Amino acid sequence: MSDPTKHVLLIEDNPGDADLIRMRLIESRDPVQVSRVERLSEGLEFLEQEAPSVVLLDLNLPDSQGADTFRKVLAKAPDVPVVILSGQDDEGLARKALHQGVQDYLVKSDFCHGELDHAMRHAIERQALLRSLEISRKQQLEFKNQFLSHVSHELRTPLTCIHQFATILLDGLAGEVNGEQREHLSTILRSANQLGAMVRDLLEATRAEAGKIRLDLRCLTIDDVLGTSGAMMKVAAREKRVRLQVSTEAGIPFVLGDSDRILEVLINLIDNAIKFTPPEGAVAVRAARMRSDPDFVGITVSDTGPGITPEARHLIFERLYQDPHAVDNSRKGLGLGLFIARELVTLHGGKIWVASEPGSGAAFTFTLPLYSLARPLSPVLIHDGRLREAVVLVKVNLWRRSRAARVNWKEACARTLDRLQRCVYLDKDLVLPPMAGFGPEQTFFVVGSTDLTRAEIMMARIRGQIEMLPELKGSCEVEISAAAVSLTDLPGSGSTEAKSLEAQVAAVAQRVTEMARAAMASSAKSNCSQGVPEHRTEPLRAQLTPE
Amino acid sequence: MASTPKILIVDDDPDLRQAMRLRLRANHYDTVNASDGYSAIAQAYKEHPDLIILDLGLPAGDGFVVLERLQRDDKLSTIPVIVLTASDPESTEQSVFDAGASAFFQKPADNTELLEVIRATLFRDIESNSLPS
Repeated sequence: MSDPTKHVLLIEDNPGDADLIRMRLIESRDPVQVSRVERLSEGLEFLEQEAPSVVLLDLNLPDSQGADTFRKVLAKAPDVPVVILSGQDDEGLARKALHQGVQDYLVKSDFCHGELDHAMRHAIERQALLRSLEISRKQQLEFKNQFLSHVSHELRTPLTCIHQFATILLDGLAGEVNGEQREHLSTILRSANQLGAMVRDLLEATRAEAGKIRLDLRCLTIDDVLGTSGAMMKVAAREKRVRLQVSTEAGIPFVLGDSDRILEVLINLIDNAIKFTPPEGAVAVRAARMRSDPDFVGITVSDTGPGITPEARHLIFERLYQDPHAVDNSRKGLGLGLFIARELVTLHGGKIWVASEPGSGAAFTFTLPLYSLARPLSPVLIHDGRLREAVVLVKVNLWRRSRAARVNWKEACARTLDRLQRCVYLDKDLVLPPMAGFGPEQTFFVVGSTDLTRAEIMMARIRGQIEMLPELKGSCEVEISAAAVSLTDLPGSGSTEAKSLEAQVAAVAQRVTEMARAAMASSAKSNCSQGVPEHRTEPLRAQLTPE
Repeated sequence: MASTPKILIVDDDPDLRQAMRLRLRANHYDTVNASDGYSAIAQAYKEHPDLIILDLGLPAGDGFVVLERLQRDDKLSTIPVIVLTASDPESTEQSVFDAGASAFFQKPADNTELLEVIRATLFRDIESNSLPS
């Protein structure tokens, strides 16, 4: 064992009490070294510099009272055991303190011989135990995730083999196949695909749990995503003789989301709905702006199935949940679908829930945030609690040149966006989520909280990164330009001092969106009329300050 | 390019190599094989394929080593590489592109899509080589 000396930080303003405690500490089994401060602020300062073995804490100090006192100490030094030495016997406060991580609550007048020493040593032991439990819990979680990820990886090779040879036979590459053989081969292929989906779910759930899912957020028209999901599920619905209807409220605004992930959630919900709906029933998918929260769009998948019992409604989004009364005789999955759906929706900042009465169908609803630049822009626009004077708007334009480029165009755009992300500082700049789907021309915008020098560097990096892309080589035109945008001449920004920072950010976000839209429209126009120069780079032209 | 494009299949699993060979030959491609990183490079030198389909988990130099060796060699760096792997795209797709690959597929890949990308990659190469630049 290392040095047995206990370093005690005593935070106590009453000199009489402090002396009493010191005397008690002299009786301790191990040598004790006491540092005493009178105010909480001094205590917190001490904890900033050093890590004592234990903190003995009086709650009523000149600069802090009651529960606030221990909360601040716990927040400052979460790993140091804290023992409260209080003037009054308050069971309610004691319980609250223990729940929040304090190790013990002693009443000063009640100390008897050796008690403080015991309490202190046990507090240190308990805290050490808690820490090692927490560490081993994290290690186990990490091990479990690694294990699952390894297993799902290894399952893929034999799975691929089954898939490949089944399709080789089905496609007649190894000779003619008769009707019955074709049917059996289709069963093999379908089962292999199910197994593949389970492996994917397993990996996805593991990733979600480890917080490793990254979203590729875009400005989306939700009808497109709904339309794709409807097209993908059409066959499954028809086979079961279930009517599948997809609709969107007129004038629905853009949402901010990852279309692949949203599609994953939708497919999952629609697949479940079809599975639980009897033949001749109906599944409806509908998107509408939320009345209860206009910053969100709600997407509802409803069915005419048996519905969900109130007990199951709470469990249904948990991992490995499977409906014990599933009437359908199709194969069960792993019970990860709704768990993954909930994780994905939560990552988007939305919510998912189900409304159902047994016997009259179920309606799953999930919400997605509207496309608004205010939230992602605020760290870029605000500096030292104030709006910056100016930002730089960098515009990167791509045009598809050759016919051959068409196949990889989407990929090229996605990769360009990805490269842009790497050219910026995440806390200072923002690559705007693309405004539209990938057309033959695509414009990307970067808002940088920057001066002209750094903007030049940023542009050079962008140019370098994008020209390196093999997808763009010889098949695309690139134009990069930048302009400074003054934030001080916004309507009402300077004049009304009282205008909240939030409102100012919202105003700037609105304006940036308008500028980006306008720039996109004008470049599309000039493109039509005069053709496109190759690799054109415009110098920075606007001033950082308004004229 | 010869009239029939030649594709080098690199995979350590013999069954998967055979499946890929059958699939590509049925689509009128010539194929050659390699089962590890070392022989992949040797085959690339010897056979001069028009395209390489590369697995990542390989003995004797994994897929990344192969990509790096190909990139370093003037004669080989122009051969497009399609990576076909059991690895998770979240963790590997980006580094595969950074290492110079032109496409990424996770196993099991959709045959139609894979064949389309193979076709487009070979086709794109003809077009961009003939462009003055």
